Amino acid sequence: MKRMWLAFIAVVVVAGLMAIPAAGVQLVFWTHEDPNRTPLEERYVDEFEAMYPGVTIQRVAYPSGEMAQVVLTAFAAHQGPDIFNQEQSPEFPYIVNQRVAPVNPVALGYPSVQAIYDAYQTGTLDGATYEGNLYGLPLEFTNWCLFVNTKYFREVGLNPGTDYPKTWEEMVTVSQQLAMRNGDILTRRGFDFRYPYYLTFLLPMVEQLGGALLSEDGQTGIINDAAWLQVLNYFQQWGPNGLNLGSPTYTAARKEFNKDNNAIAMCESGLYQIDRIRTENPAFYASNEWMIIPFPVWENAVNNYASNTYAHYYMVNAESTSEKQEWAWKFIAFMLSHGEEYLLNCGLVQPTKTLMASEAYQSLPYAEIFAADIARAKSQPLNVANPQLEAALKVAIESVMLSGVTPEQALQTLRQTVNEILQD
Amino acid sequence: MRAKGKRASGMERRRARWGWAFVLPSLAFFGLFSFYPIFNAFYTSLFKQKLLSLAPPEYIGLGNYTYLLHSPTFWNSVRATAIFTACTFVLLVGVSLLLAAFIVSRKRVQKTLQMVFFSPAVVSSVVAAAVWLLIFDPRGLGNQVVNGIMQTPGVDHKWLASATMLQLSTVLVYFWKYVGYFTIIFIAGLASIPATLHEAARIDGAGSWQSFWKVSFPLLKPTIVLVSVMAMIQCLRTFSTQYVFYQAGAPRGPIDVIAFGIYNTAIRDHQIGRASAMSVILFCIMLFLSWMQFRVSRSDDVSYL
Amino acid sequence: MSRTSRIGRREARTGLQGGGRAAPVRIVIWVVLIGMALYILAPLAFMVTASFMPARDVMRMPYPWISGSFYWQNFWQAIRGNDGHFMYARAILNSVIVATAITASTALLATLTGYGLAKFRFKGRRAVLLLILGTMMVPFQAIMIPLYMTVTKMGLQDSYAGLIVPFLINAFGVFLMRQYLLTFPDEMLDAARIDGAGELQIFFRVIIPNSWPAIATLSILTFRSQWDNLIWPLLVVQSEEMKTIPVHITRFAAEKFTDEGAMMAAAVIASLPMVILFFALAKYFVGGAKLFAARKG
Repeated sequence: MKRMWLAFIAVVVVAGLMAIPAAGVQLVFWTHEDPNRTPLEERYVDEFEAMYPGVTIQRVAYPSGEMAQVVLTAFAAHQGPDIFNQEQSPEFPYIVNQRVAPVNPVALGYPSVQAIYDAYQTGTLDGATYEGNLYGLPLEFTNWCLFVNTKYFREVGLNPGTDYPKTWEEMVTVSQQLAMRNGDILTRRGFDFRYPYYLTFLLPMVEQLGGALLSEDGQTGIINDAAWLQVLNYFQQWGPNGLNLGSPTYTAARKEFNKDNNAIAMCESGLYQIDRIRTENPAFYASNEWMIIPFPVWENAVNNYASNTYAHYYMVNAESTSEKQEWAWKFIAFMLSHGEEYLLNCGLVQPTKTLMASEAYQSLPYAEIFAADIARAKSQPLNVANPQLEAALKVAIESVMLSGVTPEQALQTLRQTVNEILQD
Repeated sequence: MRAKGKRASGMERRRARWGWAFVLPSLAFFGLFSFYPIFNAFYTSLFKQKLLSLAPPEYIGLGNYTYLLHSPTFWNSVRATAIFTACTFVLLVGVSLLLAAFIVSRKRVQKTLQMVFFSPAVVSSVVAAAVWLLIFDPRGLGNQVVNGIMQTPGVDHKWLASATMLQLSTVLVYFWKYVGYFTIIFIAGLASIPATLHEAARIDGAGSWQSFWKVSFPLLKPTIVLVSVMAMIQCLRTFSTQYVFYQAGAPRGPIDVIAFGIYNTAIRDHQIGRASAMSVILFCIMLFLSWMQFRVSRSDDVSYL
Repeated sequence: MSRTSRIGRREARTGLQGGGRAAPVRIVIWVVLIGMALYILAPLAFMVTASFMPARDVMRMPYPWISGSFYWQNFWQAIRGNDGHFMYARAILNSVIVATAITASTALLATLTGYGLAKFRFKGRRAVLLLILGTMMVPFQAIMIPLYMTVTKMGLQDSYAGLIVPFLINAFGVFLMRQYLLTFPDEMLDAARIDGAGELQIFFRVIIPNSWPAIATLSILTFRSQWDNLIWPLLVVQSEEMKTIPVHITRFAAEKFTDEGAMMAAAVIASLPMVILFFALAKYFVGGAKLFAARKG
């Protein structure tokens, strides 16, 4: 009996000793779903864990439409992940409220924060810079150019090489030629805008004419009524109550473009779209019946701006322990050291100087068009109230396009709403 | 009665204790997972609090409520919700009752009809939303079918674009989704009415409609109250259909129902205090309307005798 | 069983005589019914036919209802998943486990509570009912954050427990069972009590066996709403192995990789368990006439 008891105790003690977990760091990493990027980053997780046996990383991919809500809820409950990314616009409140930590240059492998700025193209870190501190590193840096289906151009007797729209006015004429209708219903649109994302494509259209959404000091809304009215009139003409060239209620242009099924001839999108074409419709990709053109400008434009740029930044939770934060930055540095793989596998551009100068980037088809547009682009404005501002713009554009509101009325409502938002 | 006095009260007390015993487990559960979060929401509505902010919330008492009651956006939400509820509620309750009565009387095709009308429920909401978006796309089935029936080729009925059509579209989708639900609830209610009661009525000379109104309908009252209260609550709470349409490019005004406003205020604007206040107001509206329905029906006194 | 008494039994269900109605009225009723059935079925027919065609055909005008070919790649893509890990089967399993557990517990607890509220007179029972109903009247967004905090404090995130426990009972179930049990004949209960049965025995031996239509209805509706729950699993579950169907489908159909055909295929697969459950429970919905021979009015 006694021996049995001793044996039993021995077994329990040994099991207990074995069960003590190895002291380790567990990182939680949330990002958005991207079928091309997931296998890549899962490989990085494995490699990193192999290099540092004490560290485990749990990577979770959320659907992009729901991710903002999930991250917000988690942070509100003080259960946020250690590493996450969002677009710069939803990320800004996290920075302003000090929920994310400033970068740790040493952990990232840089001698100083200034060295980080020197390693990246000028202006590309602006989306994560606030009051002199840097809060994240870019996973992707995007701007939008226009994708063109050259086959449809030739079908209607246009030469895609020369007849592509360089101004917004030309866009109307070309789209009218390309459009195919069944009564009122557009079965093929020439071009359509990327509707809910007004801060990216609509603001430059206004700013090309010398207008602005906010005054210099950020206290008043809507500068230069003439510019705004021209833009609002344009959209009214574009919509179902005008020339009927497009509408927000059709399926999004960029989703139909890849299918090459006579639904749309042009769309606005970023460099990553090229990769999507290749994965979704290899035949279309290989046929080279598509090309990319720069963001159009008005005939009477006073500024030559391309679509606004925006970035996704990898950020670290300020509420994580300092040990976790350090490992988080190390892992981010490790992931981002594979810039070429992100570029070639996912079509994501990480705007380091080395990558932009590299053979891989330079030899990408149409890279020079995107680069030229970036050179004449501004970053998407940073404002805690961005989602509400974008919603106000949505109301303005949709009211003139769909609800028969006159541009003057819409402008007045917009001004009122924006000023209310600024005061809140 | 008096003679039974002491024993009756003893039995009554015993019965009352058993009543509590049956009810207590769920109350405990609700306490932790429902009452606590709801109380939390009520409490938050008294503060001005932004979701990500680490600063302590600022107590403003009824400040959120006064803001809302003076806000034209909020009143637009109330109007949109009222219109939606009025239309959908009447349709849902009326049609599901008639359907249930009809289905129960047709023994042969019962199962098929039930399956047909319940089938929207087997489809995930995520997918149903995507399907209806494709239908309401100007090139989709919505226009094709209506134009086919009315012989007006090429007309775009602006399912998601015009204010009236947009509201109609949300009603159509909601009705499609839920009519089967309420039909099978009514069927369960009808199935529990013993056949013998109708036979007795028939023997007594009652005609078919009389039999329905005098026998089935009164016994169906608790089910009618159930369906009517549930339908009203569901309609007042409606959110996902409007959300999906808005994301797909529809204008916000006509479909800015209260629950959608709550979502935007909390998730987009980060104003959790104000969003909680909106929830409380919605709660009061629902509570009032449900209480009214209970009073009107006085359905508790139902028995066979 | 003579023919006349069979007819009598059918009419007796609702008191509506099938044969006695005028012919035009019957035709109108059938037309309306068939119209409605088409309206209900059309989107589903669209979904099923779309799952058989490549995505580029889904938006064609006119819609090619019968395309003749069966594009099985959609189903393969749905089962395989965008990442090739075949996680869809696991998601279906998770949904089945969670929905079944919640349905079983709801059926039991709702009947228990509904019985207490319907058949026992105690002070405050109206208030308790309104209190419970009140929990349905607050939109989920308002309680999402405190509920999430509660669950994470209990350490239940990323587990079946986290998905199941907050939904063990819902107010709708209590309400449904209470309304149903209001009409339960007191005589049966009194008879059982006189026979000396204890209260719990009465519950399990008298109430439950005679309440199958309501319990079946509650079961299928609860199962359905849990099957469809997107927000809560999205918040609570992080690891791939624990995701449920709606989370999986939303990710699968993510905006950057739209493939309507494959998404419809995934939806068709997801609806099969619901269909099976419906047919399994359907006999309780209306076939309960025999059960009620015992419930003599």
